Amino acid sequence: MTTAPYNYSYIFKYIIIGDMGVGKSCLLHQFTEKKFMADCPHTIGVEFGTRIIEVSGQKVKLQIWDTAGQERFRAVTRSYYRGAAGALMVYDITRRSTYNHLSSWLTDARNLTNPNTVIILIGNKADLEAQRDVTYEEAKQFAEENGLLFLEASAKTGENVEDAFLEAAKKIYQNIQDGSLDLNAAESGVQHKPTAPQGGRLTGDAQPQKEGCSC
Amino acid sequence: MSFFRRKAKGKELERPSAEAKPSRAPASPHSPSLSARHHNAILEAAGPSHVAINAISANMDSFARGRTAILKKQPSHMEAEHFGDLGRSSVNYQAQETRSRLSKTVDQILRDNVALPYFIQFMETRSADHLVRFWLDAESFRSTSWSRVRAHSLNSVKHSSLAEPASTLGSPGSPDSPSSAHRDLGSDEGETEDPSSSRAPSSLPLTPSPQDTNSHASSLAHHRNSISSEAGHRPSTPLQQLPSAGTPTRRPPSQTGTPQKGQSSNAYKDLSDKLMKSIERDAVNIFTKYVSPDAARPIPITEQIRNDIVAKICGEDGQVDPNCFVIAQSVVFTIMDQQHFGEFLRSHHFCKYQIEVLTSGSVFLADILFCESALFYFSEYMEKEEAKNILQFWLAADNFQMQLAAKKGQYDGQEAQNDAMILYDKYFSLQATNPLGFGDSVRMEIESNICREGGPLPDCFTTPLRQAWTTMEKMYMPGFLSSNLYYKYLSDLINSVRADEFVVGNASALGQNATHDGDPRGTNASDGAQTQQGTKRAVVKILKNFDEAITVDVSSLDPESLYQRPYAGRMTFGKVNELGQFIREAEPEPDVKKSKGSMFSQAMKKWVQGNSDEAQEEMAWKIAKMIVNDVMNQTHHDSPEVKSTKL
Repeated sequence: MTTAPYNYSYIFKYIIIGDMGVGKSCLLHQFTEKKFMADCPHTIGVEFGTRIIEVSGQKVKLQIWDTAGQERFRAVTRSYYRGAAGALMVYDITRRSTYNHLSSWLTDARNLTNPNTVIILIGNKADLEAQRDVTYEEAKQFAEENGLLFLEASAKTGENVEDAFLEAAKKIYQNIQDGSLDLNAAESGVQHKPTAPQGGRLTGDAQPQKEGCSC
Repeated sequence: MSFFRRKAKGKELERPSAEAKPSRAPASPHSPSLSARHHNAILEAAGPSHVAINAISANMDSFARGRTAILKKQPSHMEAEHFGDLGRSSVNYQAQETRSRLSKTVDQILRDNVALPYFIQFMETRSADHLVRFWLDAESFRSTSWSRVRAHSLNSVKHSSLAEPASTLGSPGSPDSPSSAHRDLGSDEGETEDPSSSRAPSSLPLTPSPQDTNSHASSLAHHRNSISSEAGHRPSTPLQQLPSAGTPTRRPPSQTGTPQKGQSSNAYKDLSDKLMKSIERDAVNIFTKYVSPDAARPIPITEQIRNDIVAKICGEDGQVDPNCFVIAQSVVFTIMDQQHFGEFLRSHHFCKYQIEVLTSGSVFLADILFCESALFYFSEYMEKEEAKNILQFWLAADNFQMQLAAKKGQYDGQEAQNDAMILYDKYFSLQATNPLGFGDSVRMEIESNICREGGPLPDCFTTPLRQAWTTMEKMYMPGFLSSNLYYKYLSDLINSVRADEFVVGNASALGQNATHDGDPRGTNASDGAQTQQGTKRAVVKILKNFDEAITVDVSSLDPESLYQRPYAGRMTFGKVNELGQFIREAEPEPDVKKSKGSMFSQAMKKWVQGNSDEAQEEMAWKIAKMIVNDVMNQTHHDSPEVKSTKL
């Protein structure tokens, strides 16, 4: 992907949290590389990946921080929550325990991020229907009770992976438009950039100067 | 402007070697020294103050041109030889460097003179500043009282929390001079705040008779020993001036508070009385001001604690316990931490503090890497520079080491080894997925660190971490600090401050609607107006190109105000302000390339200076003054060549 300097208007910071082994890194990898990593090792601490998407006609770059799920890394990963515009809370639909731990992750997320950080609940491994341990309905209810968006996805097949990131981005963008998220605040998790190239020309709406791939 | 171009080229010089020479055709015979000088110029000159200077100064045009030059430059690629020298020769990396000056805890803020005023201001807006002031007053009371007590062997510690039950202390009369006691204190405890006892040293006590010296010495010895052993269990060194003193053993002294009136020096008695009284006065002041229920704003403590404080102030022997407020302090501390601190970190006061740090002229890599919001921008910068892997490695390895160190040895060696192997496979091995170019010697060191018996230790990756740190510090930080991203970060901080101050200043429901460019300003402004209640002052952000991020206040685009001519009739082209800047009122020359740029810089200047909002103006002036000071400091130290490379 050619890194044409400024072909996006915004950067949103995301974090991905959840128990170990639910598929956080795979979701990220599927989203940024469009590939499924069958044997990916567990994450040490944090990693970040980026991708440019389009929201309401605006190009938005997502800077996604993938955190380690192991308990031993919990203390260090907490310091990356702050300033996130969006958070993906992931559980594994084939392992009930990962669903049960959600309240603990949610508490962390609420305490450590901004009040208007968009949190989306993701039930990963939706392709393993035969081993399902958490129904769609109950997770949906949990999400509604806590004001979260909700999607079931599969990092392996790619189902709903893009939507997961996109839905959160749309909500964030909406918050910006109606003023509840202050773009100018340094802690908002949003960087605002122009779409114009560096020629100093006044441009109208998003004009992709170098139409590279949108990945 | 040439400064920027040279800086752009300077990125490619990691070493003043032959590869760098061809890129600078002139001055080739002097290339090595020239490149070294440029390198120094780059390192010295690159700092946030320059970004801020250029952002706010009148020369936005050349600044914009310069930054365009940087943006067009190709990012340098990582090569193995770029790591070796930088890593080994660096002495800057400290494995324990874990703090950013931009991220603070309550405790750190209370002890940081730079951050404290901002915290107090914030608390004032929440009417909770009495908590902070109480804590500070109580803390200083505690330490000065302890110092005084020790300096004069006052018998006030009988019932203090530090005293162990078995010990009682010697007589209050002290034959020892205050100054030597102070010196003893210094060696004893290392207690730092002792402003009240700095007196000229004199070695001998005033009027003791030899007998007195002995008897007082022994009681003093016991007294001191008791204090020493209670407070710090440090070896008792205070008795140099009293050679007749017995061995420093802890045995309960025979005298239990009855002063040896007969032969103690009256002068000392008076002095100790005076000091006791002043300690008492201080305690009572604090009590009246904060603790008593009749106080103007009493701190929220329970009746039980209050009674405890009263008991400790009015001790049985008439002595005040310097630790009387400690419990109340911890209660107040908890309240500050849990109820106020989170909001403080999100407030514009904290932003102001961050701005002060960031424009102070010396920003360290630690400040960036350990502060989440700065890291957000820095990560984007590193990705743009195609050096994301160094940062990733540093984050992962540092996190790994931190969590391992936190276990204090109680960790599963196999698990740690697995973790370390993941990092090895990713960054070090010959088939690494994200090779960073570490040399063979480093790789072998890592191999042996990982494969050691018992698993890797928490310092397993220290060498490559240091190299990565140095690389980021020397090669990327300067660029980052002069980059648009950093400027953006600063201006976002400033905007948060201004926005909040404006809200607070108006004390009315204030709406703020930031929009992106492209949408017609009018509709957005009105949309913003419709969605907010109360008075509407939509702040419209217009970013034409990345060089100039300017926020223009919508009211200045008001049709009405456009027709107003505040300067009409003065017939001036401009004026010189107190900082020596010439501020022109006229339109710039038509042949200036970035006419739009100047228009906006004009708008910004007008907005910064012409706006009636005092808070904004004050802020901008404050920053400008800081910058001017910085420039003054730098220009006094710089060599002439370096000076000439600056704008």
